[in-house]
Amino acid sequence: MLVIEQLVKRRGGRTVLDRVGFAARPGRVTAFLGPNGAGKSSTLRILLGLDRADGGRALVDGRPYRSLRDPLRAVGSMLEGSGAHRSRTARNHLAWVARSNAIPSRRIDEVLHQVGLAGEARVRAGRYSLGMGQRLGLAAALLGEPPALVLDEPVNGLDPDGMRLVRGLLRGHADGGGTVLLSSHLMSEVAGVADDLVIIDAGRVVAAGTLTEVTAGHESLEDAFFALIGGNGETR
Amino acid sequence: MTIAVRLRNVTAAELSKLGTLPTAIVAAAGTVLAAGGIAAALAANPATQRSSAVAVTAQTIPYVQVGLILLGILPVAHEYAGGQLRTTLMAVPDRGLLVAAKTIAVTIAAALTGTVTVAVGRAVAALTRHTAGVRRGEAGVLLDAAGYLVLSALLAHAVALLVRNLTAALVAMLGLVLIVSPLLASVSEGARWLPDRAAAQLYDPTDTVLTAGTGTLVAVAWTTVIAGIATVQFIHRDA
Amino acid sequence: MRFGPLLAAEFRKTATLPAAWAGVAVALLGSAGITVLNAISARAAIAAGHPELRAFTSVFQTGYAAAPLGTVGAIVIGVVAIGSEYTSNNADAGGGRQVTTTLAAIPHRTGLLAAKALTVVLLAVTTAALTIPACVGIAALVIGDATRETVTLDEALTRSLGAALYWTLMGLIAFAVTVVTRSGMFPLIALIANSSLVSVSLLLTRLTPLAFWLPDMAGRRLFGGLSTVEGGLDAGAGAIVMAAWTLALLATAATVFSRRDA
Repeated sequence: MLVIEQLVKRRGGRTVLDRVGFAARPGRVTAFLGPNGAGKSSTLRILLGLDRADGGRALVDGRPYRSLRDPLRAVGSMLEGSGAHRSRTARNHLAWVARSNAIPSRRIDEVLHQVGLAGEARVRAGRYSLGMGQRLGLAAALLGEPPALVLDEPVNGLDPDGMRLVRGLLRGHADGGGTVLLSSHLMSEVAGVADDLVIIDAGRVVAAGTLTEVTAGHESLEDAFFALIGGNGETR
Repeated sequence: MTIAVRLRNVTAAELSKLGTLPTAIVAAAGTVLAAGGIAAALAANPATQRSSAVAVTAQTIPYVQVGLILLGILPVAHEYAGGQLRTTLMAVPDRGLLVAAKTIAVTIAAALTGTVTVAVGRAVAALTRHTAGVRRGEAGVLLDAAGYLVLSALLAHAVALLVRNLTAALVAMLGLVLIVSPLLASVSEGARWLPDRAAAQLYDPTDTVLTAGTGTLVAVAWTTVIAGIATVQFIHRDA
Repeated sequence: MRFGPLLAAEFRKTATLPAAWAGVAVALLGSAGITVLNAISARAAIAAGHPELRAFTSVFQTGYAAAPLGTVGAIVIGVVAIGSEYTSNNADAGGGRQVTTTLAAIPHRTGLLAAKALTVVLLAVTTAALTIPACVGIAALVIGDATRETVTLDEALTRSLGAALYWTLMGLIAFAVTVVTRSGMFPLIALIANSSLVSVSLLLTRLTPLAFWLPDMAGRRLFGGLSTVEGGLDAGAGAIVMAAWTLALLATAATVFSRRDA
């Protein structure tokens, strides 16, 4: 279970996160929605130990990410793109990631097959298309067979085949009892796969609940979204 | 999961990174090849006919240290070329542990490369002279030279931790070691306290104040202070 | 596309690169710092009554002695002018390289390279125009009139122009090589190392006099009385040889750049 409690973050005088709080529960896909610059990535970066919060905390099963011994076995995450250095091959990239958390090397081939990159494993990451890079990032997230998955825009740049793959993966993971937290822009994707919804705008959570609860009284998720953020979809 | 086990895992991962980074392979291999070429050029020079093969090898050190400097910078600097640092921090959120593992990896890689470099230099110098046979006491001098190369790599690693940029670290280290240091040495006695000049006492003990041992300590002190400041920043800063 | 706006665009692009300014700073501040130390040491030697202990104590020579650092600055400028096009941004910025945008805006590749080369020249000359007078000024401030100036104005001017020419040509050579290699890392290392005490060119000159025809060796005498190595070409001939090398490398770079994929 992933818990975000009263998170506050200031950057250069601006309050980027203003007491953001929500939870992503096991067995459910939680979708994190919001306009550009709303604070989604900032929240996820704090959750994953990359940035420090100025107030509040983000916990993975009750503990901060930085205190986890083998974090990739607890949380698999994908923040943007492949996360690999451009001159390293996909296989070599996954190899060091696995080694750092004592993940057995058989997992490398397993995840490469799972995301459909087995044929391009020996190609340098710099030559990957956007979609292939996304798949590599996904593969790295799955390496440790973690109970929780945290994904930032997972279907960005994927072809229809890839989108179906991700949808199936996320749904299957949640149905198997795992926790899934994904942030996204694509309403259609979210509507098809999410159980719970958290909508954030200008650093504040404006709605949180099940998909049904949040979209009650609106024609579609998109309508609900624009209504909740005050029709102000401007990017910051 | 003890600290030792975690350190071992992360160090293995860091060595894996280094071994699968094409630039690092080229740097290491290039240094060894350069050692051979420069040793041959030096040994063929009529002016050095009286020096032993080991002395010629010692003369190659200022040249080949360039490759070790690059090798020392790469583990840190390549993380910042693209988004790999994020992946690394998510795999290893304990940043102190990460820096320790990277430092050990640099030491191992530099020790391996440095030893082979010095050995190849010695062999080629002897071949060019058509002399064979290792004289007694040579191994010590050669190991000392390799030790200097390792110290160079570690200093470069510390600078890279501080500036977090490949080009900046390269210009800083090369500027210091190749240009500023010799210029200062010709002007002032205080230049002996510069890290590279102090460490050089290991294989070229010409100084009156510092010995090989104290010189090494001075170099290690510089490296530790720079790396320490950089690590504290790294731990507290956002990624 | 007219060359005027093209040059203006490329100059602006390079002049707004922090790395280019870092190159200028290395030349300017590094030389200044070394000049301060040299000048203090010279004044101390004069005051102690032993001016002969130092190779030179004249104001101009003390200011000029830091010229090697300017070469490093010029190399950085040359490398960065084209290397910056090829650094791939991280995924946040779309993972693209600037060269795609540049070539979409300016498809005429030879014109593009000419504009960039001219930018390198302008920056190198500006750096020289700032650095050398500044260093001589610092030396004059520190040493004052404690010593007689042994270098005539004519000679000082010639050597300053020689240094400026050497820096400019080295910057262009660094530029041309980086156009071909796309990554500036190895040219940067090789050229900086080669212009320092670990010069492979210098090493080769001890094996064969042919090495005096290498660009950096040929241009040595442009620095006037600074070099002490025997043999090789004199200043005028050396400058021509170095310039010929530069042109040949630039022509190669232009050919390669025009033909290959971005």
